[in-house]
Amino acid sequence: MKTTRLYLANDTSSLAAGAGRLAEVWSKRPEIQLIRTSSRGAFFLEPMVERDGPNGREAWFNVAPDDVSRILEGVGGTPVATIPFLRQQTRFTFANFGVTEPLALDEYQKRGGLKGLAAAQNLSPEAIVEELRLSGLRGRGGAAFPVWKKWQVAQQAQSEQKYVVANADEGDAGTYCDRMIMEGDPFRLIEGMMICARAIGATKGYLYCRYEYPAAAKAMQFAIQKAREADLLDCDDDSFDLEVVVGAGSYVCGEETALLESLEGRRGVVMAKPPYPAESGLYDKPTIVSNVLTFATIPNILANGGAWHGSLGTEGSRGTMALQLGGRVKQPGLVEIPFGMTLRQALEQFGGGMAPGARFKAVQVGGPLGSLFPESQLDIPICYDAFAKAGAILGHGGIVVYDDETNMVELARHFMAFTADESCGKCTPCRVGSVRGREILERIQSGLGTEADLVLLSDLGETMKSASLCALGGRAPYPVLTAIEHFPNEFRGRLKV
Amino acid sequence: MTTRHNAKLAEALESCRPVSPAKPNILKMLLAIQSALGHVPVNTLPQIAQTLGVTEAQVAGVLSYYSDLRTQLPGRHLIRVCMGESCMANHGGRVFRAIQDHVQVAVGEATPENRFTVETMSCAGNCAVSPTVMIDEDLRGRVTPSDVPSLLGPYK
Ligand SMILES: Cc1cc2nc3c(=O)[nH]c(=O)nc-3n(C[C@H](O)[C@H](O)[C@H](O)COP(=O)(O)O)c2cc1C
Ligand code: FES
Repeated sequence: MKTTRLYLANDTSSLAAGAGRLAEVWSKRPEIQLIRTSSRGAFFLEPMVERDGPNGREAWFNVAPDDVSRILEGVGGTPVATIPFLRQQTRFTFANFGVTEPLALDEYQKRGGLKGLAAAQNLSPEAIVEELRLSGLRGRGGAAFPVWKKWQVAQQAQSEQKYVVANADEGDAGTYCDRMIMEGDPFRLIEGMMICARAIGATKGYLYCRYEYPAAAKAMQFAIQKAREADLLDCDDDSFDLEVVVGAGSYVCGEETALLESLEGRRGVVMAKPPYPAESGLYDKPTIVSNVLTFATIPNILANGGAWHGSLGTEGSRGTMALQLGGRVKQPGLVEIPFGMTLRQALEQFGGGMAPGARFKAVQVGGPLGSLFPESQLDIPICYDAFAKAGAILGHGGIVVYDDETNMVELARHFMAFTADESCGKCTPCRVGSVRGREILERIQSGLGTEADLVLLSDLGETMKSASLCALGGRAPYPVLTAIEHFPNEFRGRLKV
Repeated sequence: MTTRHNAKLAEALESCRPVSPAKPNILKMLLAIQSALGHVPVNTLPQIAQTLGVTEAQVAGVLSYYSDLRTQLPGRHLIRVCMGESCMANHGGRVFRAIQDHVQVAVGEATPENRFTVETMSCAGNCAVSPTVMIDEDLRGRVTPSDVPSLLGPYK
């Protein structure tokens, strides 16, 4: 019998969209050979099924089990290379997505994998850091700190033991690129961590994965096992020991010092810096904590040279950014593009406008601590400097669009309640400020608030911004205050007259 | 306490007993126990503290800090509704209310016949296919309030 090879993503979101049901039904049909790949990230088209065509892969969108005959006959497919959402992207870090089987090491290698590590092995540790300096890469976890500076500190620190830690806590709601990398291209993350280990002289690494990502943790464990069997974790005479550790549901554990506390098994409480983890981190040893996307960006930089990366993007924001579109856009999904496009362009070109029947109200960039932008402010370029100038953050690249049915007072209350729930309690502005902030917003919501409450909220916000120990308290006022700034009537209309 | 329960507990305790030079790791121990028993019974604190060589207060401190650690056994099926911003923007709050109306129980408590416990959860990374509801290990996306009865039906 003639068998046809069909490609179907095994990504968590593809499964949630219905890919699991397709796999279940089709696995019983002998004429179908099902290959489980990563997802291309065009989630609005999922479940998406592909097969090989004369000019590359062809795809069928939003597939139901009964569509199988059409697909097997080859009727109605769209060449993947012509899908606008994908064609207009610049995929480097996400080049393998939708193409390879996540745990096939040979495929990873065939598509350029491990070249960065090989290049790093021919360079001195100092030369690796120099490539990163040339690349202009800044951390993708939120703080956007230059990667090379951090690595240099850890490299120059004298210690018989150093650590590499991948921050896979991905706490910002609305973000999922780290999850995609761990599930879809895990060897890229391992390769990035190994390059870091070589640069700073570390022999032990951890991956701290959020509790909500069981599939990602499992994929990483498998990939580490495979890498070990392939002797990939051997560097020079030492072997690099890599372990997956799962957290237990605390947003603040994504903050690097709290994460290290949690890795040691304690309450994940934020510590004052300095010392920075690069000087004294896990078990008081020099430790690089970097975001999953940051590590996954590094193999290409070593393979193609720092200057290559430094030529992409804008002045202070080099390379590509993984935007993660969510909320009420028509086309939610992962978008990798060089920095510089405006927010409006990104929402129109990739987001495809609003979901059917929905009208735009505001967009939040950078997770639950990110600012809200109204229609009139969408022409801001997506890069670190422009966002910093606007008092906003790109954070980890989460973009959530709200429609006109969103109640801004309720949303503002939700933000403050989130901080009140998640505060680690170490510093007073965050611990007490967030609770007071929530109470004020609840008062306004119940119709008992006054003009003085809005003034109080603004004062409170200023105190939290300037006096909090970490960005949880420091950024928490932004979404609330930008909501009041752009939608004042919704708040004023609720005040007691 | 059944023998089976005790054996599982003993195994979890042993798996996290610190072997020098490794330091005791309280969180790892609590997660191991929760994975074995479905929750961390408060009466296991003395044994945990003793096995790790730390104080009971330290164990209790960690146990109360992390929202995914539970001291009560949930119902047979655990429904978790995402309260992250993408799910909120897609009106996941309406799905949450529909679920609550359907199962008629307060957040965190089990239904009388112990079938369901409903909880909120933070972002599942399924934001592009939201709103998200997780039932036991099954993640569901694009859930609408009218899906709720058929969604919960198969979980007996
Ligand atoms: C409250 C809070 C939560 C954070 N959560 C995360 C997270 O989930 N993932 C992450 O990579 N960084 C997070 N960060 C940033 C980390 O502290 C740290 O800057 C980052 O992991 C460094 O990696 P990078 O240089 O690659 O960005 C968080 C910071 C704060 C203040
Ligand atoms: S916000 Fe609900 S899955 Fe991300």
